[in-house]
Amino acid sequence: MAVIEVKNLTKEYQLGALTSLKDNILNLNRRIQGKPTQERKRFKALDDVSFSIEKGEVVGIIGHNGAGKSTLLKHLAKITTPTSGSVNVTGTVAPLIEVGAGFVPDLTGRENIYLNCSIMGLTRKQTAAKIDEIIEFAELEEFIDTPIKRYSSGMAVRLGFSVATSIDADILIVDEVLAVGDLSFQRKSIARMENLIKEKGKTVLIVGHNIRQLERICPRMLLLRHGQLAMDGDSGQVSKSFFDESTQKNSKGLIHDSKLQPATDTEEMEVRSIDVNSVQKVDGISIIPLFSDLIIHINILCHTDINNAEINIGLHNAEMIFVGKASTSLLKNAINLSKGEHTLAVTIQNISLSPGPYGIGLGIYDWARRPIWSGSNLQPISVEISPEYVSKLPIGTLGYFSASWDFTRQKQT
Amino acid sequence: MIATVKNLLAYRELILVLAWKNIAVRYKQAYMGLAWAVLKPLMLMLIFTLVKSFVGIESGDIPYPVLVFAALMPWIFFQESASEGVNSVVAHTALIKKIYFPREIFPLVAMTTKLLELGIGFIILAGLMTWYGMVPTASILWLPVIIAYTMLAALTISLFGSAVNVYYRDMGQALPVVLSLFMYASPVIYPLTLVKQKLLVEQAAGDWSNILYTIYILNPLAGIIDAFQGALFRSQSPDISTLLPGMIAILILLPFSYLYFKRAEAYFADVI
Repeated sequence: MAVIEVKNLTKEYQLGALTSLKDNILNLNRRIQGKPTQERKRFKALDDVSFSIEKGEVVGIIGHNGAGKSTLLKHLAKITTPTSGSVNVTGTVAPLIEVGAGFVPDLTGRENIYLNCSIMGLTRKQTAAKIDEIIEFAELEEFIDTPIKRYSSGMAVRLGFSVATSIDADILIVDEVLAVGDLSFQRKSIARMENLIKEKGKTVLIVGHNIRQLERICPRMLLLRHGQLAMDGDSGQVSKSFFDESTQKNSKGLIHDSKLQPATDTEEMEVRSIDVNSVQKVDGISIIPLFSDLIIHINILCHTDINNAEINIGLHNAEMIFVGKASTSLLKNAINLSKGEHTLAVTIQNISLSPGPYGIGLGIYDWARRPIWSGSNLQPISVEISPEYVSKLPIGTLGYFSASWDFTRQKQT
Repeated sequence: MIATVKNLLAYRELILVLAWKNIAVRYKQAYMGLAWAVLKPLMLMLIFTLVKSFVGIESGDIPYPVLVFAALMPWIFFQESASEGVNSVVAHTALIKKIYFPREIFPLVAMTTKLLELGIGFIILAGLMTWYGMVPTASILWLPVIIAYTMLAALTISLFGSAVNVYYRDMGQALPVVLSLFMYASPVIYPLTLVKQKLLVEQAAGDWSNILYTIYILNPLAGIIDAFQGALFRSQSPDISTLLPGMIAILILLPFSYLYFKRAEAYFADVI
């Protein structure tokens, strides 16, 4: 039985401020003169969204900022009304849309629990039966009779989470609140969510940006894009498609922003060029086949002698995370850069990184490890997978190990 | 209509809790606490008594301070229920954007809060009546009925007003001002008998006197205040002929006000 049934849901908002008396008079004037009146622009926050959710399902809702996730939740919680289409929800709904929405700073924690519970539809008796458990879970025994305004923000959030998950609603709606409190509380709250889902069979809807966390909890995901339901299905597939989308966006950004400019520069030297050996270039980006060697040529002009220098070179991905670095500090001999021009060739063997664009980062330090010249995303490369490996290599990793495998059949005893 | 009342009964606990919250928040960090609730009628009573000693208002055989206090009680209850009701929806923006429950709860909560303050007013009134040696009769049993009717009058204004206020905050600004002026059009400072005397007996406004009187009692508060004083001091049951015009006005306006509120309610979260 479907507990949530959304059909052709569309929500339009008017942009801009509410019309004032002045606007009305101006519009009236235009109407008299037969000119078109000034209307406020409309914006579709949700555009023809349809889906249904069965009892006991756990569904994640993902999408970029402004994709309509929170607007969707607002409709499910009956807070707002659709412009067209329908939303049918059977059963009681506990919204965690923002933890502690109804908290009053002047009241004590205990008073706020009663207030919040009755807002969520519990009677005093029901609240009294749960209150000890709520306080215990929030770890606030000591502070429960202190006004909330004296709480730290973590304490208030913990109390809010504890209250919202203690209400025995049929449907839980969660908006990015799994990550409340410190790490230990986060772990506790995820365990509690999982308990609600598995033991009590609640229907749960979770909106979030932490896709990995969502993937773990929700077997099914909805992907919203510009107010439209772009995907609905198995969370592995949906999150992969969402990641690919984000990666593409990030990759374009990485390649676009790439330029030979230092972040730190003491003007004791200049890096004149960074070149990458490659057989193939697409739009000026060097293509490096997976498992081949990468050779980087760096041209440096030193204005003074730099003795005992250290040079680090690394590759970072579109999220600006370095996936590996090579350093001259591991060499036996010291590097002395005398005044003048130098050419440096670095060979990084057997590039075994997950396919995609990478930026080159370079750091040059003097004997005291004082940075002389450093920068990242100086030059883009793109690691590409050759046809023989496509569909053979596993995905969802930053790189690949070259491993040797040894299978021995154990003799039966 | 029946469904509405049923719905409200289901939410009565929430109304009480929210009203308790309002009171707790208002008086918690105040040294004098609930005493502030009766300060306003007491001060006004003293001022009016002082003014009366200059201008001379005929109050019959009932001591003027008691008479004016008994008029101020329903008046202030009505005025504050209405003006706080009008601002009540906007004041709970955070809740409206997060959680659904029937929004008419907010004006009702504002009124429930004022009901408690009215209750404290009765303690003061009892003190005043004891001081003047006045003994109430069984007709005070009418008081709950009169108060219930006052609540309907206040809701007529606060439901419509609070919904408009979500869209245009002018309402929340204007209404308290208009209401405080309205006090002079209600028999608070002077008793209704005086108006009757001038218009109906003396025909002070000539041919217009009777019409003017009807317009005057179209204001539900005219009948309410008179009935309140009558039940307390004159052992009278409410005078239907005085109450009727106001009742008709409310019977027409309250459903309209409620329907407008319910229609606007669906978009509160978008606009507020």
